Amino acid sequence: MSAKKTQPAVAEKPKSYGWMSEYVDEHSLLAASRKVRDSGYTKTDAYTPFPVHGIDEALGIKPTILPFIVLCMGFVGLAAAATMEIWMNAVSYPYIISGKPMLSIPAFIPVIFETTVLFSAFTTFFAMWGLNLLPRFSNPVFTNPRFDRVTNDRFFLHVDSRDKYFNRESVRELLAGTNPESLEEVVEDSTPSKFPTIIWMGLATLLVGSFVPATIIANMRASNDEYPRWHVFFDMDFQPKKKAQSTTTIFADGRTSRPQVPGTVARGQLEEQDPFYLGYDPTKIAGITPANKVLLVSSQDEPKAPSLDAPVEDEAAKPAKETEKANDAKKEEPATTAPAAAPAAAGPNLPWVTDFPVAVSSDMLVLGQKKFEIYCSVCHGVGGDGDGLVHRRAEQLQQGYWLPPTSLHDPRIRGQEVGNIFFTISNGKGKMANYAAVLTPKERWAVVMYIRALQRSRNADIQDVPVDQRAKIEEVKKAD
Amino acid sequence: MASITYSNPREIDNTVDVPGRRSTLVTGNQTFSSVTEMVCRVAEAPQPTIWYVLFGFSSLTALMFVSLIGYLILTGVGIWGNMNPVFWAWPIVNFVFWVGIGHAGTLISAILFIFRQNWRTSINRAAEAMTIFAVICAAIYPGIHVGRAWLAFWMFPYPSLNLWMWPQFRSPLLWDVFAVGTYASVSLLFWYMGMVPDIATYRDRSKTPLRRFLYGLLSLGWTGSSRHWLRYEKAYTILAALAAPLVLSVHTVVSFDFAVSQVPGWHTTIFPPYFVAGAIFSGFAMVMTLLVPVRSIYKLENLITLRHLDNMNKIILATGSLVGLAYATEFFIAWYSQNMFESFAFMNRAFGPYWWAYWTMVSCNVISPQLFWFKKCRTSPIIMVIISIFVNIGMWFERFVITVTSLSRDFLPSSWGYYRPTMYDGLMFFGSFGVFLTLFLLFCRFLPVIAISEIKGILSIEAHREAHSHDHH
Repeated sequence: MSAKKTQPAVAEKPKSYGWMSEYVDEHSLLAASRKVRDSGYTKTDAYTPFPVHGIDEALGIKPTILPFIVLCMGFVGLAAAATMEIWMNAVSYPYIISGKPMLSIPAFIPVIFETTVLFSAFTTFFAMWGLNLLPRFSNPVFTNPRFDRVTNDRFFLHVDSRDKYFNRESVRELLAGTNPESLEEVVEDSTPSKFPTIIWMGLATLLVGSFVPATIIANMRASNDEYPRWHVFFDMDFQPKKKAQSTTTIFADGRTSRPQVPGTVARGQLEEQDPFYLGYDPTKIAGITPANKVLLVSSQDEPKAPSLDAPVEDEAAKPAKETEKANDAKKEEPATTAPAAAPAAAGPNLPWVTDFPVAVSSDMLVLGQKKFEIYCSVCHGVGGDGDGLVHRRAEQLQQGYWLPPTSLHDPRIRGQEVGNIFFTISNGKGKMANYAAVLTPKERWAVVMYIRALQRSRNADIQDVPVDQRAKIEEVKKAD
Repeated sequence: MASITYSNPREIDNTVDVPGRRSTLVTGNQTFSSVTEMVCRVAEAPQPTIWYVLFGFSSLTALMFVSLIGYLILTGVGIWGNMNPVFWAWPIVNFVFWVGIGHAGTLISAILFIFRQNWRTSINRAAEAMTIFAVICAAIYPGIHVGRAWLAFWMFPYPSLNLWMWPQFRSPLLWDVFAVGTYASVSLLFWYMGMVPDIATYRDRSKTPLRRFLYGLLSLGWTGSSRHWLRYEKAYTILAALAAPLVLSVHTVVSFDFAVSQVPGWHTTIFPPYFVAGAIFSGFAMVMTLLVPVRSIYKLENLITLRHLDNMNKIILATGSLVGLAYATEFFIAWYSQNMFESFAFMNRAFGPYWWAYWTMVSCNVISPQLFWFKKCRTSPIIMVIISIFVNIGMWFERFVITVTSLSRDFLPSSWGYYRPTMYDGLMFFGSFGVFLTLFLLFCRFLPVIAISEIKGILSIEAHREAHSHDHH
């Protein structure tokens, strides 16, 4: 704005930015500042090695709005953190943890607090530098080498030439009147400035180097490779365990799956193989044909004439039962004829066990009776007639979908092998649950024994009863 | 003990309290330029031999630390002694140890600023630097002690297509992420902001173009403009006001890592204030351990005077007594609660298999700082360095006792077990000191160790006060 008179002739006249006066201590600076302020100049500034108390009042500097910016951003931080936590942990992916509230505000508070402080602090930092218009690396005040002492022990006062009332001579006179150590014009630095060599070489290297990863990646994406991609963190992808069908060098035969060691029984092996546990002999499954089936019929019972109540009642009361029932009833008499067309009883066609694998004894029968009365009699009745309490209650309720429990005296059941009955108890049939969990195999065989005893009791002759018990039977008959 | 004579001419005793006269904080009749000279000389003059010796040693140790971290990540957490039932052992102890140390720097910068304690100006820069370096050492541990350190970024709430879920904000482990992260970044901002005017001083004194460029870059073109100073001071005040609750909250959140659990000996509401007091205690001790050698090696006794050391030792005494009070309170509550697990936890600490750790802790933390009741101890640099080292040892053991004793014997005796660290635990802890010391030595070499502009500010105040008192006479 103003022409330079004292500078030697150069190609460009450096621009002047006003006057700078230098003081030895802060008190002279403050006095000079007040003078400048009172003269009406506003585009002024002081430069000091430390913040001088009272300079804002001396120069007429208004307080900054920085605190309000920080306050606003603090609230923003608070809202952001609260929203983030509530949305992430209560809305988007709620963690259901033992019924604790999703909107657990007390638990969310630490993060909210920290984020508020974070936002406020970052705002303070960046807004302060922003309001100060820093970083600013090129500044005409730095031209004068005397100014280097501003960060050391000297105090400067600057009246900028862009001030409304600036007049080069009057400002110079005003400042000279404050007895400064020196008074010089602020000019732009016209000397060329370059980065130090090592800096721009380093930056150039970095710039060139920054293209290298991108180039490598582009090359890899554009080309094919016979190798699989780099797998840096294996996690647990490659485990040294042996899988069942794989080969191994640990054993001579190269197999990972090993045969069973002779003389050992695998866990669960017996339950899968032993007829004691199954009720049938799995090794004989191949030999079952309808023709052979007749040979497996239990020889314990002679097929007797059906008793008055059981089958008739059964047929009347179980209309939904299969017609196989009728077939079974017919099949009963000619037990020895080969029932070529007769289908198997409702249930699997398996090589049932025909003889009890446990010794028949009165202890077993007592055990069987006890267990029968606990578990079976509720449906099948104490006598095995299918008239247990559950059935009677169901009849009472008359809800229309009740399937009556089978009478154990039904010829079909009487014709079943002991293994078949055992199988039914173990695995259930139709509505009947399986009782393998509540009865051990031995107990189940005991129940089968007792069922046979019950069945026998309906198909026995007075001659089958020991002589000394016959009197009792006569009494019971009379009581009926 | 009216005056203490020293052979060192710079060691002036300004600890004497004369009624009606404040003792000077900057001794030896300093001027602004002599203060500038004294501090800038640290970075400008060739470093003393001890710097090279220590730097060589510490950088080798830091290198060992980095390579052990690599070994840890390649091999797994099994190289440490963490084992059933003490799954959280040295790594967490070291984390809490370093984070606690860091808090003293922020306390000196922020809380003492709010309390208008002018004597903080000599020590705040180095203390803040110590905070940054301590937080760096601390932050390494949570990152590496997870099983898969390369997935540590999963702790941050970013929309992950891989996980398809968000972090659990109700967990103190996540509060830690936010708290320590906020603390690290805010401390960094505060430290850097404080250094800008002093880096400008370095810039203006630089002899080589490279130095001038780098210091010029870092000082952001600072001119010392009063308009800038005013906003700067406002920002400094605001940051101090923000950092003060941050100090308290961050170590509170760290204490929640333990207090929020159910383990006897951990589940107690005393932990937040207890941890914070302990953090300040250990932090000041570390500041002492660093600054006493620094002041004598770099001849800064006129700026970091005996009064400064005296004041710091009083704070160490106060916080040490607080920590002792916390121990006593814990014992009282263990008895008063009549809770058998709580009572056992504390009996176990004192008389169980880790009794040696417990009594080390008590003697170092409760007994040794009590020596600071005596002025001779408070003003003798050798004694205070020894005591501060003991305090740091004691504070490490405190975190060890808290973590390991409670885990090794909690509710069910069949779950009890004895924990032993492996050599990697020890080497990595030692290595973290290498990182810390390396960074601190680099700081001393390249950056302003004392807040030059703030010292000049109080020099001006003192001169003003001096002038006024002469007027009144």
